[in-house]
Amino acid sequence: MNKLIRRSLLRHPVRTLLTIGSLAVAIFLLCFLRSLVTTLSAGVESANQQRLWVQSAVSLFVDLPLTYQGKIDAVDGVKRTCRWQWFGGYYQDRTNFFAQFAVDPEPLFSMWPEVEIIDGSKEAFLEDRRACVVGAGIARQFGWKVGDTVPLIGALFQKADGSAWEFQVAAIYRPARATVDDRTFFFRWDLFEKTMEEAMGQTPQVGVFVIELEPGADVPAVMASVDGLFENGPQRVQTTTEAEFNRQFVSMVGNVPRLVSFIGGGVLLAILLACVNTMLMQAREQLREIGVMKALGFSDRSAALFLLSQSLLLVGSGGALGIGLALLTQPGIAGFLNRYFPGYEIQPTTIAAAIGVTLVLGLLAGAVPARVAERTRTVEAMRPH
Amino acid sequence: MIRLSRVSKSYRRGGETLTVLDHLDLDVPDGAFYALMGPSGSGKTTLLNLVGGLDHADAGDVVVAGTELGALDGRDLSQWRADHVGFVFQQFNLLSVLTAIENVELPLLLAPLTRKERREHARHALELVGLADRMHHRPGQLSGGQEQRVAIARAVATDPKLILADEPTGDLDRRAADQVLDLLGQLHEKFGKTILIVTHDPLAAARAEKTIHLDKGRLDRVETMPPSPDAPSLPRP
Repeated sequence: MNKLIRRSLLRHPVRTLLTIGSLAVAIFLLCFLRSLVTTLSAGVESANQQRLWVQSAVSLFVDLPLTYQGKIDAVDGVKRTCRWQWFGGYYQDRTNFFAQFAVDPEPLFSMWPEVEIIDGSKEAFLEDRRACVVGAGIARQFGWKVGDTVPLIGALFQKADGSAWEFQVAAIYRPARATVDDRTFFFRWDLFEKTMEEAMGQTPQVGVFVIELEPGADVPAVMASVDGLFENGPQRVQTTTEAEFNRQFVSMVGNVPRLVSFIGGGVLLAILLACVNTMLMQAREQLREIGVMKALGFSDRSAALFLLSQSLLLVGSGGALGIGLALLTQPGIAGFLNRYFPGYEIQPTTIAAAIGVTLVLGLLAGAVPARVAERTRTVEAMRPH
Repeated sequence: MIRLSRVSKSYRRGGETLTVLDHLDLDVPDGAFYALMGPSGSGKTTLLNLVGGLDHADAGDVVVAGTELGALDGRDLSQWRADHVGFVFQQFNLLSVLTAIENVELPLLLAPLTRKERREHARHALELVGLADRMHHRPGQLSGGQEQRVAIARAVATDPKLILADEPTGDLDRRAADQVLDLLGQLHEKFGKTILIVTHDPLAAARAEKTIHLDKGRLDRVETMPPSPDAPSLPRP
């Protein structure tokens, strides 16, 4: 019977292979799109519980006064703070995008244990005001080594003479977790502050303050206290957990899960219709043979299962191919998307979802033809056309 | 073997009711070889379908091999067909994607046999019809006569008591038709099969013991044929 199912499906090999190909692409897309969402979610979920982020209550793009740091440091439950400022420069060409931040050098390593130095040293970063710490990803891309001088053109913050900012590579880090990206460039706040004072004649402001909590600190109380400090300005602040901060950051590019669900749903609906069409053609072409099988003693149920099995085999082949393709291309895609989706990985739940969707597609595509086969009267099916 | 009592069957066509069989009575004894003849629309094929359990009568009783077919539901009727009837059709109706031996094996899938036993039964049936050397050919690679002989092998593979043939020589030339009729004759004479054959061909009907003539769904007349002096021989492949 298996042979009959297989050969019936391959009666029109081109049509069958094209349908399997379409299914493979659809299931591959499903795995890929879902993996983008799970990768984003993993970044949010793996947030450090001991860190809080303080940003302007108006927007992430509004800076905060430098003087806030001392007041935040004094709040009960706060162990220390670290200033972050988005630099927004570029290396050689504007297309060479990577994130750059001016940060307080001392807390950087102790507050971010997920950053692991693989070349150079923390001490070198602390000793030299021009020092920078770079991710292994950008070091590899631009061929930077420890000791190299790296010029960055400031797009948002320019030096007084308009020349490039020059940094010395003191250390190269790699993320201890896949969901942390390896393409960030950290340099020292004191260099940033001094240079901007020279250029603008005033102290620069801070993008966000990152708080490290004392062990056992009452998180809601700390958040409320920090927010309460600046309730009357000059800039009201919003303190959030790191997970919430990450979630808000991701949502800045839109509701990715909903967008992905919309696209994925559309693709699956289209492929379902294509599969139903293929299976209806199969049923129409095999109607006489189904009549013969019933005459030989096969039951109505067997006739239905015969077509349902063809549908499951057809869709299952496409699904297996799509899942295989997704797994096979995972390393390549992870490397290609590392800049935007660090830690891209196909989770077992995604594979399970793809198998489930394949199964449902197979059942849905085969349901109508199976019903036709079941209800077809033997005499009608075998009547000469 | 077959007993029809006041059997009626009608179809609705374009809002009109068409009576195909009208209070028909018929008895076919065990081991008989009967032919059914009559003009188109006289109810021959419908009668064959009712006897083979492919269709239900609107009224009357159809009893075959001791079973009242009207009392069986779809599933039981399927099993009954698998156990008791072998069909031979005018257009052969072999499955084009299967080889000759796989086609013959098809009804054996419903029997409690191992794969090896199925293959043995199918090979034996193909040997019986003289096509053992064509067992791995697909229907498209066989002549019409050979296809019909494979269909006969498929019909006898499960060793049913009853063979129903609907114009089995209708699509064949004379020589191939004679081979098929020889085979049916041999199944009747050597193996005691009960055979009911629908035909328009007087030469085919002449092979039967009796010819039942139908007209407008009623029994018109019964013709008894003289016994053939020569025993039929197996056809050469």
